[in-house]
Amino acid sequence: MSFWEKIGQIDRRWIYLLVALAVIFPIVVPVQLPVGITPEARQLYDAVEALPDSCAVMLTFDYYPSTVAETMPMSVAALHHLFRKDIRIVTMTTVPLGGPSIAENVMADMAAQYGKEYGIDYVNLGYKANYTAVLLGMGASIESIYPADNLGRPLSELPLMQEVKNYDDIEFIFVVADNGIIDTWISIVNAQFGTPVGAGVTAVMAPKLYSFVESGQMTGLLGGMRGAAEYEILADQQAMAVMGMCAQSLVHLLIIFLIILGNIAFFTMKAKGRES
Amino acid sequence: MKTTLPVIVAFLSGLVMIGAFFLNPDKFGDIQGEVLQWATIIAGFTLLLGVVSIVRVNWRSVVKQEKGWYNNLAVLVSVFVMAIGSVLPASWSPLFGRDTGSIYDWLFNYLDAPMMATMFAMLAFYIASAAYRAFRARNAEATLLLVTAVLIMLIRVPMGEVIIKAIHASLPDLINRYIMGGANVAVQRGIIIGAALGAASMSLRIMLGIERTYMGKT
Repeated sequence: MSFWEKIGQIDRRWIYLLVALAVIFPIVVPVQLPVGITPEARQLYDAVEALPDSCAVMLTFDYYPSTVAETMPMSVAALHHLFRKDIRIVTMTTVPLGGPSIAENVMADMAAQYGKEYGIDYVNLGYKANYTAVLLGMGASIESIYPADNLGRPLSELPLMQEVKNYDDIEFIFVVADNGIIDTWISIVNAQFGTPVGAGVTAVMAPKLYSFVESGQMTGLLGGMRGAAEYEILADQQAMAVMGMCAQSLVHLLIIFLIILGNIAFFTMKAKGRES
Repeated sequence: MKTTLPVIVAFLSGLVMIGAFFLNPDKFGDIQGEVLQWATIIAGFTLLLGVVSIVRVNWRSVVKQEKGWYNNLAVLVSVFVMAIGSVLPASWSPLFGRDTGSIYDWLFNYLDAPMMATMFAMLAFYIASAAYRAFRARNAEATLLLVTAVLIMLIRVPMGEVIIKAIHASLPDLINRYIMGGANVAVQRGIIIGAALGAASMSLRIMLGIERTYMGKT
């Protein structure tokens, strides 16, 4: 068996080992890399920055625990930015599996850092089934859809929710999602109620949403861990996403190297086949 | 009656939503709100139906001791441990409810979330292996796809961005503008408009009773 034949039939476990090393190396030797800012991330940051202080913003936790590596840094960076501007936050989720718990934990942690009080500075509405009806219904009255918050406290007892009755009282919606729900936020909430929507989504979803950014239906976009890193830099809160850029860089370069290697092996074998 | 009633309900519900959107929302506002509340309540019951279904399927496998029955048992135990702990009132014990320090919270943070994240993270290994084996420049279309994918993979990470910038400083911006904001947007718009037209026609078919698969009929 020739060298290229061996390369062409390499055991996949060697590839797994290389990927593992590419991920582990930056943990052992942390390297901070310069991250460029895309116009879409800048647009989202500028939109939040332009919001009046103490206004109300809706921040959604529309993601499953499986994608927290990409999505949670977006939520955390957004919360740093929003709380620093004294913006009051209403959170909710359209994801039943883990969404309410992630929102509860992240909000409690971030509120403690900024000395924010539940019910006055932020409220977690939690989850309600049938997201289309939920998103549409909140346009008329949030309380009709969510009579109580995530832990069962009636909305009528929460001072923030006395001021935030529907989308008219919300200046901006910051969606962090790992699924198709973002389409509904755009087609129902932005299109029908006119509330500006910006989003942070997983890398695999981002290409589809460029069309909404171009058309002005979305105000800014963060794509994947790279997008989260960009927002961390813009918000001056460099954390997990910026740290993750080294591992992601190495894995991307490794995959490109493997693709090139695989193609060289493919064409060499093809040429040999023709000769014989 | 079994078929006619759901069709009438679907038609009237759709009519209210269309009316509220296109005509005067004030006239339809209350009815629309009522319909939406019903929709969320019914959706809540569908979740309950899901729990009943998962219990029935797994219970049957455990009782019959089918192959891998212990996995079904693990599912049942997990469902009930998570559910019972969270449903019981927190006033009885700090271990109940869904607050920080409860059984539910502990299981979610230290079992559920890490397991789901692990499953998703494993994709990186499979993608690397699949890219090595399948990404071949066999013809012009495959080569175009391969080159585009490599360029996007490069500009999406800082190290790749440095490599691309070494060729020309404005190249990452150009790639982002022309591939992501140009070719990608054109294709995505076509797909989105096509899907929206499909969804609109499907909604009409349901409202008019032509499409009945949601009732278990063909």
